[in-house]
Amino acid sequence: MSTWRRVFGLAALVALVAVAPPAMAGPPGVLVTGDNLPANVDPHQIFDVPMQFYSLNTYDNLYRYQGNPPKLEPWLAQSHTVSADGLTWEFKLRTDAKFHDGSAVAADDVVYSFKRVLAIGKGPSGAFKPVLKPDNITATDKETVRFKLETPYAPFLSAIPIVMIVNPRVVQAHESNGDWGAAWLASNAAGSGAYQFDASTYRPLERTDLKRNEAHFKGWQDNPKAPKEIQILPTRETSTRVLALLQGSVDMTDSYLPTDQVERIQKSKGVHIEKNTSMRVFTLRMNNKKPPFDNINARKCFAHAFNYDGFIKEILKGYAERNPAPMPNNLWGYPQDVKGYDYDLKKAKAFCDQAKAEGAPINRAISIHIQSQLEQTNQAAQLFQSDLAQIGINLKIISDTWANITSNTGKAESTPDLWIHWVSTYFVDPENWIGQMYDSQFHGTWKASAWYQNARVDELLRKARGLTAQAERQPLYEEATRLIVADSPDIWVYNTVEIRGLTDRVKGFRFSPVGSGGEMRWVQLE
Amino acid sequence: MLAFIVRRLLLVIPSLAGLLVLTFFLIRVVPADPAAALAGENATPAQIAEIRRQYGLDQPLYKQFGVYLTQVARLDFGESAYSRRPVAVDIKQRLPATLELTIAALVFATLAGIPLGTLAAIYHNRWPDTLLRILSVGGVAIAAFWFAIELQLLFAMDLGWLPLRGRLSPGLTAPPVLTGFFLIDSLLAGRLDVFTDALRHLILPAFTLSLGGLATITRFTRAGVLETLQKDFVTYERAQGFPPRALIWKFVLRNSVVAAVTQIGLLFGSLIAGAVVVETIFDWPGIGFYTVQAILTADTKVMLAVTLLIGVIYAIVNILVDVVHGLIDPRLRDDG
Amino acid sequence: MLVLAKFAKDKPAVLGGLIVLMVVGIAILAPLLAPYPGDVSASHLLMRLKPPSWEHPFGTDNLGRDILSRVILGARGALMIALMVVGISMAIGVPLGLVAGYTHGWVSEAIMRVTDVFLAVPQLILALALAQLMGPSLQSAMLALTLTYWPFFTRIVYAETRRLSASLFIDALQCIGAGTLRILFGHILPNAISPIIVRATIGMGFTILVAAVLGFLGMGATPPDPDWGLAIAESRQYLPEAWWFSTFPGLAIFLTVLGFNLLGDGLRDIVDPRLRRSR
Repeated sequence: MSTWRRVFGLAALVALVAVAPPAMAGPPGVLVTGDNLPANVDPHQIFDVPMQFYSLNTYDNLYRYQGNPPKLEPWLAQSHTVSADGLTWEFKLRTDAKFHDGSAVAADDVVYSFKRVLAIGKGPSGAFKPVLKPDNITATDKETVRFKLETPYAPFLSAIPIVMIVNPRVVQAHESNGDWGAAWLASNAAGSGAYQFDASTYRPLERTDLKRNEAHFKGWQDNPKAPKEIQILPTRETSTRVLALLQGSVDMTDSYLPTDQVERIQKSKGVHIEKNTSMRVFTLRMNNKKPPFDNINARKCFAHAFNYDGFIKEILKGYAERNPAPMPNNLWGYPQDVKGYDYDLKKAKAFCDQAKAEGAPINRAISIHIQSQLEQTNQAAQLFQSDLAQIGINLKIISDTWANITSNTGKAESTPDLWIHWVSTYFVDPENWIGQMYDSQFHGTWKASAWYQNARVDELLRKARGLTAQAERQPLYEEATRLIVADSPDIWVYNTVEIRGLTDRVKGFRFSPVGSGGEMRWVQLE
Repeated sequence: MLAFIVRRLLLVIPSLAGLLVLTFFLIRVVPADPAAALAGENATPAQIAEIRRQYGLDQPLYKQFGVYLTQVARLDFGESAYSRRPVAVDIKQRLPATLELTIAALVFATLAGIPLGTLAAIYHNRWPDTLLRILSVGGVAIAAFWFAIELQLLFAMDLGWLPLRGRLSPGLTAPPVLTGFFLIDSLLAGRLDVFTDALRHLILPAFTLSLGGLATITRFTRAGVLETLQKDFVTYERAQGFPPRALIWKFVLRNSVVAAVTQIGLLFGSLIAGAVVVETIFDWPGIGFYTVQAILTADTKVMLAVTLLIGVIYAIVNILVDVVHGLIDPRLRDDG
Repeated sequence: MLVLAKFAKDKPAVLGGLIVLMVVGIAILAPLLAPYPGDVSASHLLMRLKPPSWEHPFGTDNLGRDILSRVILGARGALMIALMVVGISMAIGVPLGLVAGYTHGWVSEAIMRVTDVFLAVPQLILALALAQLMGPSLQSAMLALTLTYWPFFTRIVYAETRRLSASLFIDALQCIGAGTLRILFGHILPNAISPIIVRATIGMGFTILVAAVLGFLGMGATPPDPDWGLAIAESRQYLPEAWWFSTFPGLAIFLTVLGFNLLGDGLRDIVDPRLRRSR
């Protein structure tokens, strides 16, 4: 008798589990996205693509990039003026913006935020530290912020959106030992953005819920169907992420969707692809201080040995554009006449033979470091490996991590022979690419890890940095780019086409290279 | 008995001290400089140096170790270099998820393994025994990371019976935390829907994780039952005309399950380690997932704390098993 | 011969032995057996991700390489890792176990406590941490596996030595003045060899499995090594379309480990029908 009861109980349980409807996408109004989360949620400590996604939704900045190609649009600031010498910048704030605690966003808060960025001194401060002293950030009245720079710095305005404005009243209440509230804000929020962070749901790198901020200064009249809630649920495995999208349990993948998955999503019902040309250059770095890469013919040999078309057409299925120079081809300052290097093993062999004749140790074992979590870096390295093998060069692939590589690029000796990464859009200015990649004053940062040195290039880049008019700067960047390409310090492969998978209930997706289309207030949820 | 327990506990101390030294020195040789990673992209060497100083990464090793010891004594594992959160808080949040998964796997392995092992023993050396033996050895031989993906494809994608990832569907909110076990908390909160959803999410990862344990428990039950069946008192009962089925139930199982249960202590450690892979594939928000993240970002404090935690859990479970064993079988007490 | 006859009756063990022989044969003859031995490093972009066919019975991978060839070539690496790890673990663990088991006092205590420490370190996590700090490579994976595997041999040998050194014949040897080394290596070790062999056989399978996990997590073998775990890791992006990409390396791991485990299991039944604790 009791046995039977047990069997029935078990059967009922099984039925309950098996019959319960599979949970599909979040309830109406809830957008579930598979975008990655930053390591912590303080926008003044972290500065990477996941942080852009998070902070564009939860914080506001003075100016903001919108659209593609990205345009700088007034956001918390209404307008700005700059003095003739390019040193004094004044930003006039709008008066109707409010933080999530209801207090108004005032000039003092902007001053506090910029000072906090400089004081914490992490990622976002890099663009400002050389030209801006904390004491030279002042509020002239309730709605005006003045910055006085040390030297003229053209990219200043382009870099302004990097700094998110935090609420000092909330942050200061949680300060400990003069840490500017860094420990607290790392898992809390003090913003004014279109969405509000829900600290109770926050699990680092795993999950965060954002609630719509009905009182946001932009209002919601222009987009009443915007998600009421956003759930960010990062997924480690690509296959899991795509399966979750197809199954409908997430509405969006991140913007690094592997091209091999595109066809599958296109074939499936209820999901679609958004693809947008971005400004993110895929680069194989060479360590110009280490033989044989201190030899220009050796560098040219390697540049001719990468199968650009094969990689773009076959492996990336054409979802990328050949970009033969360090600057993205859709940005001003890119010389349209630049040719770059083509895939030609005969030429490569000739250059290598020449380099060898000049004494370059071409035949030593050369290693290329890839980022183990990014499969594309692995594919590019393996392709390169097999082509180089044909001209007698032995390339060793070393699986590595971003954290490890970037800590090793501090010195030329510890910088890998070769390594692979993208240069994403942190701000839209040539400074973000060639400025910081090839001016020798940036040696020791990961961006300048080619250890390239050319006095003429240094001069051009420094001159361009000090001028404010784009028309004057443009020819300088074009000339610098031509010189750099002629020296072949790195191997530039393509400008990224960002691909994101979405469910069909997500409409009105807007892409901008800054933040990889992560600003969710424009999206409509059916 | 008390003396036995105390002695067993004392034996653990040198092991744990050794564990502490070993893990600390291993991880302090990390070439990846967390200061550089902490400073983030675009950081200057001066910024990196500042951070190194701020986090005490520039101190001599023995000083860093001294600081570490006092912190561990206070159960203060410091702050994760990345999330800036106290490691102890993060671990407290995640440990229940891993325990729920591990215990579910263990329960499943036990509930399925004991009957299967008994079955194999009853059909000793006939085809069900051979088949079960190949299956149970296969359970140990299968690569969990591969099998998990195949399970996801079959049950989540093709059949659509079970969820793919995570601990709960996106639409549901977790029950108020009492035990941290969703299955228990949801029932206490009277949320049958959350309970069902959590159970559905638990099935695939727990099943994947249980395979190794299932095989081991099956094998040990089989051995235990075979051994008991040859004992005199069973032969006697059988001669008395006791029905074989009832005999198995009444005498044999009780005597032989003990052997299998002691395996649990050993299994528990390997299950927690196995959780690293299973949690990664199923996005299970537990300690294993946390560990992989920490390793990828060279987050040393988290790595130290997790290794220590798992070492301690392993030690505690083994003590418990020893003590239980001692209670059941007093002869073992003298042996330590 | 009694042992062989007993072994032959044990069908699963015979099956395991055959599998092991097959894998070893494949590993030795790999360059001859693989239809495209050059596919270790070559790439053929136009042949990417082709399903199984006559030319490529297991299909091709993401760089157009023949998966059958790579599975065959991968056998060698898998066995090499396992042999190295188990061999070095034995070389460390067995002498320590002999010494700890035979002597009494602080040396013995110290050895066993250190053994306990290493046993308490979660194996996979130590392996991952080591792979991370030494840079992911086969060497660091092997070092990590060895560091965590030798204590098992120490434990077994310790127990056997304790049991044997209490037995009469050792007493007798001591009485006639035999040297300690001679007693340990000439008399105790040969008598303790069976459980060591069993543990080693199972250790082979176990090591192959953990090495594959490390490869899968990107902490073991590096490209273009035809490592099975690495292949499965790379295949994840192409699922479920390119099912062959993960399936065949997965089956290779499964069969090899199954072979070693069945064999080890069978050997154990012969050596010690009462079953020892296993892992």
